[in-house]
Amino acid sequence: MPEVAVIFGGPSPEHDVSVLTGLQAARGLAVAPGGAGGAGVRALFWTKTGEWYEVDPGLEAEAFLEGVPRGAARLQFTAAPGGGFAEPGGRLGRARALELDAAMVCCHGGPGEDGTLQAALDLAGIRYAGPTVAGAALGMDKLAFGAVMAAADLPTLPRAQLLADPGPAPFDGPFIVKPRYGGSSIGIDVVEDFATAQARLAANPHLRFGAVLEPYRPDLSDLQVAVRTWPSLELSAVERPLRAEGSSDILDYRDKYVAGEGMAGASRELPARIPPELEKSLRQAGERIAALAGVRGVARIDYLSDGRELFVNEINTVPGSLARYLWVAPPVPFATLLADLLDEARQRPTHAYSAAGADGSVLRSAGSIAGKLG
Amino acid sequence: MSAVGIRLPLALAGAGRFHGGPAWFTVGACVAACLPAGLRWLRVAQREHYLGGSATRFAIRWWRSTGPDATLATAAIAAALASLAWPIAGVATAGAVALGPLGLSLRGRTSPLHWTRRLRTLAAAWAAVEVVIVAIGLVTGLPAPLSVAAVLAVPLAVDLACWSTAPLERRLSAPFVDRARTRLQRVDPTVVGITGSFGKTSTKGHIAHLVRPTRTVVATPASFNNRVGLARAINEHLTDGTEVFVAEMGTYGPGEIADMCRWCPPDIAVITAIGPVHLERFGSEDRIVEAKSEILAPAGDVVLQVDDSRLAAMADRAEADGKRVLRCSAVDRSAEVCVVRSDDGSRVSAYAHGAALAEGVAMAAGIQPSNLAIAIAVALVLKVDPAVVGARLDDLPQVDHRLQAVQAASGATILDDTYNSNPAGATEALVALAASNRQVPEPAPGAGPGRAHRLVVVTPGMVELGPRQFDENRRFGTAIAEVATDALIVGRTNRRALMAGLASVGASPTEVRLVPDRHRAVEWVREHLGPGDAVLYENDLPDHYP
Repeated sequence: MPEVAVIFGGPSPEHDVSVLTGLQAARGLAVAPGGAGGAGVRALFWTKTGEWYEVDPGLEAEAFLEGVPRGAARLQFTAAPGGGFAEPGGRLGRARALELDAAMVCCHGGPGEDGTLQAALDLAGIRYAGPTVAGAALGMDKLAFGAVMAAADLPTLPRAQLLADPGPAPFDGPFIVKPRYGGSSIGIDVVEDFATAQARLAANPHLRFGAVLEPYRPDLSDLQVAVRTWPSLELSAVERPLRAEGSSDILDYRDKYVAGEGMAGASRELPARIPPELEKSLRQAGERIAALAGVRGVARIDYLSDGRELFVNEINTVPGSLARYLWVAPPVPFATLLADLLDEARQRPTHAYSAAGADGSVLRSAGSIAGKLG
Repeated sequence: MSAVGIRLPLALAGAGRFHGGPAWFTVGACVAACLPAGLRWLRVAQREHYLGGSATRFAIRWWRSTGPDATLATAAIAAALASLAWPIAGVATAGAVALGPLGLSLRGRTSPLHWTRRLRTLAAAWAAVEVVIVAIGLVTGLPAPLSVAAVLAVPLAVDLACWSTAPLERRLSAPFVDRARTRLQRVDPTVVGITGSFGKTSTKGHIAHLVRPTRTVVATPASFNNRVGLARAINEHLTDGTEVFVAEMGTYGPGEIADMCRWCPPDIAVITAIGPVHLERFGSEDRIVEAKSEILAPAGDVVLQVDDSRLAAMADRAEADGKRVLRCSAVDRSAEVCVVRSDDGSRVSAYAHGAALAEGVAMAAGIQPSNLAIAIAVALVLKVDPAVVGARLDDLPQVDHRLQAVQAASGATILDDTYNSNPAGATEALVALAASNRQVPEPAPGAGPGRAHRLVVVTPGMVELGPRQFDENRRFGTAIAEVATDALIVGRTNRRALMAGLASVGASPTEVRLVPDRHRAVEWVREHLGPGDAVLYENDLPDHYP
């Protein structure tokens, strides 16, 4: 019987949120038509330190409070054909590989959403739902994604790489400083002037691999829409997430995730009450972005708007709770969403390695290596 | 009749008595009684972290704790002695041991038995000890008396099993420790090692909060502070790229910290406090000082609270050894780092190297100035900008269950200090309770006859204070009498000591109530307290305490 894996966790600040998404998906798959039914769902937990365990898919969130849940079975992972996930062999037995039909990737932030995990699964020959390597990497790189949007003439706020070089600011403050790579909610600073922004480069550990600078526009509020391209291009209802009482101006990690149900529990206006023209441009932009960013699986596009103007902010290629709560108009049940995702995983390949052209001619005419080095 | 046994010459008459039907019935009853008894004491051993000697200690405590239990114990022993002559009397012993101690349940309410691999190993070792005792009985021709001995000695057998499986457990944990050692070397963070009789967890939380904006920091999760827990924290929580690892190191006896420091050596060593905590296991406070000081050896930087003269002496010694020492104080402005509370207790000011880091910052009652001073010192050693440290004090989070103030639905103020109790913490808690009275506004004029505000203390007293337990609890009782209008004493463990203390303050209006468990106390509080009242929950004992 073909088995489906749900992969969640990972070395990322959104590890805990990913546990919630993964457990929700595992429950959803247990009842999904075209999913695997109860027996065929395997829950694969990726620890904060990068190890792999198989856990009971029926666990509750609190089982993960201390780290690896009780009763978890250690797995080994080999990123090569015939590899994949396997129960390690003991002294007597050989390693037993998990035969997986497809995997549901539920990892947020870090290597689970930036293409690292996707690449490893590609190398191991495991089919998976969600973005490809390229789509995930583009989604995680704010600078690159912003540049692709700007090059396609989609409306965006100015976004520049923040460097410590002397010189004037590329635009006026106040500014938002964000890590160039990583989840959208961690490590963000709002600063008054450019000098302070540059000072954050040394002080904020999340900016160590790069930072982007944007103008701070408190007049703009968030609008979000989910998009999928399988079985056909489809956008969900538009949501305006609401901020918790007394929280800071930017929708931050605690607003989004500490309500208790992950993204599904945050307070929201759904569908958002926005003018029809705004909604129309938002949806048109969304369709273009789906193609430009190579959306596969379910992605959530975040916009900023003041009710009249619209700006593309970011894309999340593995959104919290797989954005299941956004599919209300028209309604798409979670089971259908999951079944379509698995279908896409099986039928829409993520990679095609080619060795065409390596026909030996270069090797034959090479001469001696020592000769080339001398 | 015992053809294979060794016939021991016996002074007792009628060796043939031991081989009759009644004798075998007794053997059966005792073996059957071993099962519930074993479950009880295995659970206690598990809760006491498998430390050898705990089961016997708790057994003595339980069997003496109430009239019925003491009677049952006496009856069991009397029947055991009687069984030397009349084997059938052993059935009474078996019955008593199977039933009691009354109140120590088999499955447990707050802490049920977890059938982990370690417990299964312990249970097997315990069963082996019991089997050996009974086998000796069979072989020597004394099956009944030895079965009775086996059932009486269940707690002792559990302890023997703990001692004998300890080396095995250590060997089994070795691969995890090796993995942790390798991982730690690979990730190579700056290690901050924290120990102390109390204040470790709070200080660890403060350090993580102060350092977080400028360094990637991972702190060991709550209660992961022994050899196996520390290894697990490193293996499961220390992500690549972590720059600062804050490791809480707890200890129940000498040598444990030295052992952890061998594979997890701290770069910065911290001792928060010395007190009579776990005194039973250490024996004396001097041995506590020695054990804690094991953390200093590998570190280049040492951060100590010097209001305690023993730690001040330790600071001098560390400096003489060539280490960089930062002295922290909650009273002395000449220390390198000093944090003082304002007179009304609601604010703190922090000073480092003479200069003010922050002044007049609002701070919850449960935050201890000495712990905060230590955390600030560690942040400074880690080269966090003093301005950033000062700014981070503004939103220092409360520590769970450490004098945490919450408002009940009834309007009463709850001070939750249940996490653990040591004498110094208990005194602070009473000060906070008294202060909460002063902060209550007067009832509006014309609002009707107000009733006096109630200040209630709910406590089972403090434990693990060894020979000082009675005195410390009596002192606590006296202090309660001077502050509280009502005292609810939970359970029997410290009942006598607390009541002695409460009675010693002659003119005190404190009403004393005895409740069997915290559940009953909470019910009373819910029923009787309202707006303007305050209740302090001081310490909470799991249900394997009588």
